[in-house]
Amino acid sequence: MRSPAGRRGHNTDFYSGLLLVAVATVALLYIRTLSVGTVLEMGPGYFPLGLALVLLGMGLCLAVKGLLAEGNPIGSFHLRPLICVLLSFTAFGVLVERAGLIIAILAQVAIAHFASVETRWQQSLVSGVLLAAASAVIFVWLLKIPVDLLP
Amino acid sequence: MTDVFAQLGHGFAVAATPINLFFCLVGAIFGTLIGVLPGLGPVATISLLLPATYALSPVSAIIMLAGIYYGAQYGGSTTAILVNIPGESTSVVTAIDGYKMAQQGRASEALAIAAIGSFIAGCIGTVVIALLGPPLALMTQQFASPDYFSLMVLGLVSAVVLANGSAFRAIAMIFLGLLLGMVGMDLNTGEARMTFGLVELSDGINFVALVMGLFGVAEVISNLEGASVRIVNQMRIGTIWPSFSALRGAWGAVLRGTALGTLFGILPGGGATIASFSAYALEKRVAKDRSRFGNGAIEGVAGPESANNAAAQTSFVPLLTMGIPTSATMALMVGALTLHGIAPGPMIISRQPDLFWGLIASMFLGNAMLVIINLPMIGIWVRLLAVPYRLLYLVIVVICAIGVYSVNNSSFDVYMTVGFSLLGYVLRKLDAEPAPLLMGFVLGPMVEENFRRSLITSHGDPMVFLQRPISLALLLISAALLISIMMPAIRQRRVEVFQE
Repeated sequence: MRSPAGRRGHNTDFYSGLLLVAVATVALLYIRTLSVGTVLEMGPGYFPLGLALVLLGMGLCLAVKGLLAEGNPIGSFHLRPLICVLLSFTAFGVLVERAGLIIAILAQVAIAHFASVETRWQQSLVSGVLLAAASAVIFVWLLKIPVDLLP
Repeated sequence: MTDVFAQLGHGFAVAATPINLFFCLVGAIFGTLIGVLPGLGPVATISLLLPATYALSPVSAIIMLAGIYYGAQYGGSTTAILVNIPGESTSVVTAIDGYKMAQQGRASEALAIAAIGSFIAGCIGTVVIALLGPPLALMTQQFASPDYFSLMVLGLVSAVVLANGSAFRAIAMIFLGLLLGMVGMDLNTGEARMTFGLVELSDGINFVALVMGLFGVAEVISNLEGASVRIVNQMRIGTIWPSFSALRGAWGAVLRGTALGTLFGILPGGGATIASFSAYALEKRVAKDRSRFGNGAIEGVAGPESANNAAAQTSFVPLLTMGIPTSATMALMVGALTLHGIAPGPMIISRQPDLFWGLIASMFLGNAMLVIINLPMIGIWVRLLAVPYRLLYLVIVVICAIGVYSVNNSSFDVYMTVGFSLLGYVLRKLDAEPAPLLMGFVLGPMVEENFRRSLITSHGDPMVFLQRPISLALLLISAALLISIMMPAIRQRRVEVFQE
């Protein structure tokens, strides 16, 4: 059955449930290594264990609900802006300590440029240069962030 | 009473120092700016500017951040009226009648009443904080840990009320936030928890990285999805002062909106957005001729605009007196205070009088500045709409990256932002709002601490939460709130309010 609503197993309920179950499971695996303690003497694991179990339960409820009934369809993912923006941040993180702030900013702008179809390379180039110059003045000279400008 | 005036006088002395005046102005200008620009809300902006407040004193930092929040309420109305695009969710209803007024050539009248209404509401809201703050804080000081725990529960439930969409999912988001808040060192034993062996996580998840990813960067990515809207403004703005008769028709709406907004700001689950929606509904109800609404009724601008600004001021009351945030923006303020080593709670007024009274006084000054920033300079702000998003987002991502990096001078925080941006984007696609998650994250450590302390003092008896009258009352209010949003009738109404 096809309808504008999300089909069974293909709706926001199911996938958000799945996401919560995954997070709770990872947390529970880690909490195993912590001492839980008793009500009277709670260990570091007591409260997180409770939270993770509730989260697991809620996630399962949502996932089952999504399997049994129709729900809202999942919003469509736009990979181009997502990947470009995330990559641009990663590039900044990798380069800022190795190549200095100026190159990190230029690299970030260069990658972020491709996140939108509307950008024009001349404008992005000018923005990148201006941003690098402004950041050097504001953040490094005025606010004295301890970071090198150049490699 | 005289005491309040003496304290307020002290507050003005704090707020009127050149440095605080300057940051109040910076906050007001930034607030107006993001209010005018659609697609950039106060939560995202405050998280963007959070790292920049490190270098400032806590007082200047909070004054500036608060200015952004209430400044956005002013700016949001400008685009709502002139181009029918609400800059903020709090100005959605303003667009209905405001844009009609603009089309009828009454743009200046609408803009003026929005600014004047906001100013009056802001001043009254600020007076309410000054009067209500000290007694409430005194009351909260009597709270023992079980009462605190229940207060936190109420704060968390209010996040569910605020969330748009399924309440069950909002609660799940709160638990996710609480769990994320557990990462880091255990307060009692010093043992590392859920850090996955990463030293960088031993102090917990970096607050700035979390908010900036979930709200700031995720929002930028969403905005880049579709073609951007070119906004062309052809309105002519004439004189900025409204006619006397227009003012006379609106003053009732200003006062009603202020009263409603003041109340909604203080109540858990209230907040500026709901206040403005309710004010519009109220104006429609009390009007003699309802057909004017939707066709350029000045009350339809005056009421909601007064309400949202009053609520923006009074939402500081629960934060500064009890330490509980009632909205995502206030959760950010908790984060900002914590970053400066100030624990939000009832002790702020007595231990940090400069902060409390200085902030209040700065709100008077800030509101006055905003009227000046918004009325005579309106042309400049409208022209800003012409800045294309393809240039704006490049600036935003770079400032974001530098901001996160500069908190601890750590690339790890930048990578963490990438992770939270991805999470924020996925949550958006799954109809799950990140605001309840933020509330859970901020309150998580305090919830745990008070829970553990309560059970130690009660020798492990969980009934302690029901035996203390304050705690019991708070839990009953929370339960009532929760049940009320689950009830079909009210749920329907809530959906209507959000969709209107």
